[in-house]
Amino acid sequence: MDNPLLLAPIFVPLAGAALAVLLARYLRVQHVIGLTVTLLAWLASLAVLYANWIGGVQVYRVGGYAPPYGIVLAADLLSALLEVMATTVVLAGMIYVLGCKDKCISLPAFMPLFLCMAAGLHGAFYTGDIFTFFVFQELMVLSSVVLVGISDNRLGVEAAIKYLLISSMGTLFLLVGIAAVYATFGTLTLADIARLLSGGERPVLAQAAAVMLMCAFLVKSAVFPFHFWQPDFHTAAPTPVHAILSSVVVKVGVYGLFRLTLLLFTAEAPLVRSLLLVLGLIGIFFGSLAALRTYDAKRMLAYSTFGQIGFILVGIGWGTPLALVGALVYTLNHAFIKASLLMLTGLVSSRMPNKSARLTEIGGAGNTMALINILYLLGGMALAGVPPLNGFISKLALVRGGIEAQSWLVIGLAVAAGLLTLMYMMRTWQLIFQRAPDPELHLKPYSDNPTAPALLIGLCVLLGVYAVPLVQLATEAVNRLGDPNLYIRAVLGG
Amino acid sequence: MNIIFAIAVGILFGLGTFQILRRDMIKTAMGFYILFTAINLLFIAVGAFNGSAPAYSQNVGVETTSDPLVQALLLTAIVISFGSYAILLGLIAISARRYDTADSDSLDHLKG
Repeated sequence: MDNPLLLAPIFVPLAGAALAVLLARYLRVQHVIGLTVTLLAWLASLAVLYANWIGGVQVYRVGGYAPPYGIVLAADLLSALLEVMATTVVLAGMIYVLGCKDKCISLPAFMPLFLCMAAGLHGAFYTGDIFTFFVFQELMVLSSVVLVGISDNRLGVEAAIKYLLISSMGTLFLLVGIAAVYATFGTLTLADIARLLSGGERPVLAQAAAVMLMCAFLVKSAVFPFHFWQPDFHTAAPTPVHAILSSVVVKVGVYGLFRLTLLLFTAEAPLVRSLLLVLGLIGIFFGSLAALRTYDAKRMLAYSTFGQIGFILVGIGWGTPLALVGALVYTLNHAFIKASLLMLTGLVSSRMPNKSARLTEIGGAGNTMALINILYLLGGMALAGVPPLNGFISKLALVRGGIEAQSWLVIGLAVAAGLLTLMYMMRTWQLIFQRAPDPELHLKPYSDNPTAPALLIGLCVLLGVYAVPLVQLATEAVNRLGDPNLYIRAVLGG
Repeated sequence: MNIIFAIAVGILFGLGTFQILRRDMIKTAMGFYILFTAINLLFIAVGAFNGSAPAYSQNVGVETTSDPLVQALLLTAIVISFGSYAILLGLIAISARRYDTADSDSLDHLKG
């Protein structure tokens, strides 16, 4: 049973990108194309999620070739959920682009690149084939590199070089892993690899492949030993791109780790998990402490992403069903919170004469913006996990998983580090919004449009007050992940 | 045949790793491309069959033809690595013009 809707989030943005290249002279038309395309992708991803909830894993065989031979797109509930997260944040990013005053937004290349990045991102979540995963994530990396290179921030070029080199090293790991998988199993379809691995046969190269793939995913999601590129690269990006990079693009690696431990290398999973637990804890502390001492509001949020990814890794590391539900809920909620906070910070810094977000200059800049003030406070409290907001739900779900795993020390450390989150968010909030502005500071009369962050914060509040559907979806996703045969049978048939 | 592949891939990996760690950005970019070439060769080496005759050729046994799948993968990988190389060189050209040097030690404005 093929579901052609799976193609929509990938090929509609790609077609939109091609069209936007052709209509490069007409900026308004490009914007209309961009908004239509991302809206369509969002609707399609919601439809796929619904179809998944009702009817199980959705599969599309590209070109009609049967899976082990042809390319297959496959969405189980995990992919579908993460895809909805990605399309939602991309849609919000697109809305922000429409009201953004940055110079680079009006370049004719911006919209095609933005849509290519979206297509690569969506494809990486839906593909059921490890080589196609490589292709999609390269599309995403290359477009985001150019987007950062053309940023208004003069450091963009330098950051782009750094990221391109480091991310390509991650890609090398991925390619060596793919080669090892192909050499041992003669197939690249995830479901087929999982079937062969669950058969009990353990070729020598299988473990090498597991290690290579894990390294690749750790580089992509900027986990502890491979994290150093992330704050530099993300800080230099234009605001809407930064919002997408720091919230959903880093989740591609997290998705890979979910797949690695739950579908492919289930026998090696305990080893991978204990490593993830340690790396996650280091990430939480390193990221939070670095966020506490950094000098730039945007950079602080990039470091905070590094810390929050640590919480997710701890959830994956515990590996019990409740902990996985926690990690999944955390992944989604963090994407919405972080995207909105980044947009709000970008919005305040768009009023600065030099667009800087340095804490020494931006102090008091938000004093007159009441709406932004409240939204930022809400977002900061959500990130720290203060009760009525969605960040609380994700922390609660994670801690429940930890109690199930009976890993008291790690819970204690993680909750203590949650206080650090509160500290750095409140520090910047007070600095930007509560302090009297510097009389020397001449703010621009206009700023970027606050619609997109307002919508995202609304979503955060909604998901905090009415969290049942998301938690139910995540629980069901983890239940279904518990039996890899469901996925394998759906993709391979029979 | 396999041993030749193994040695060639090993040499290319070593060369690429050495080159990518150089201070001159242009040499770094070259190392980047050499590493991707090493990967491409690795992909040829993991092909399923012997590979002394073209894929789908008649009159030869299955064992001696080459594996068409790795060739398809390789074409994609070559295109992607070529694209990344072009973008990398472009970025390096911009930064070299801006700072008047291609020395990676002078590209340290991101500190902090």
